[in-house]
Amino acid sequence: MMLFAALAAIVFGAVAKDTTSERWLYGLKVFAEFMIIGLVLGWLLYFIP
Amino acid sequence: MVKVERAVSGPAAQPAGVAWLIAIGAWFVPGVGHLWLKRWGRALLMGGAVWASFLVGLAMGGHMFSLSTGQGSSPLLQIPPMIANMGSGLPYLFCLLFGIGFSDNPEQAARATYEYGNTFLLIAGLLNYLTVLDAFDIAVGRKP
Repeated sequence: MMLFAALAAIVFGAVAKDTTSERWLYGLKVFAEFMIIGLVLGWLLYFIP
Repeated sequence: MVKVERAVSGPAAQPAGVAWLIAIGAWFVPGVGHLWLKRWGRALLMGGAVWASFLVGLAMGGHMFSLSTGQGSSPLLQIPPMIANMGSGLPYLFCLLFGIGFSDNPEQAARATYEYGNTFLLIAGLLNYLTVLDAFDIAVGRKP
């Protein structure tokens, strides 16, 4: 999941925004979002039989 | 007073035909579009991400889609994931030609990483579509 989030965040970050710092920030944000949503969904589904 | 004019940074826009060629090249071999435009960093990052995703997906035993892998269902259901897989370009065509990653054997499907592999293979193609659009935008001068 981390690898998936990292690869997607690299491309999303490179495609979006104008400046390098904005790209870094956006890439990190996308990475964090993928990780948080993945973990939350994982725990939610864990309790659903 | 001296008037100072600052040149607009960024490459000159390519002719439309060349921009389309760059887009086709970017689709065919992930990263080549940005290499053509001398965007080394982007080529390495974006092309590298696509290649890494594709190779990891294959190594995990993922399965790619084509119209012939119906598994008893309608071949039309294979079209959306096939379009995603086809985004990888040459790697997809190479695997299709040599039958790598297209077989439907139960041993492969039983691997714990099978579904992860599928996802990585799908994402590789979809990320490459983004890479193609980015290369095209740079080529036509829409993006610095």
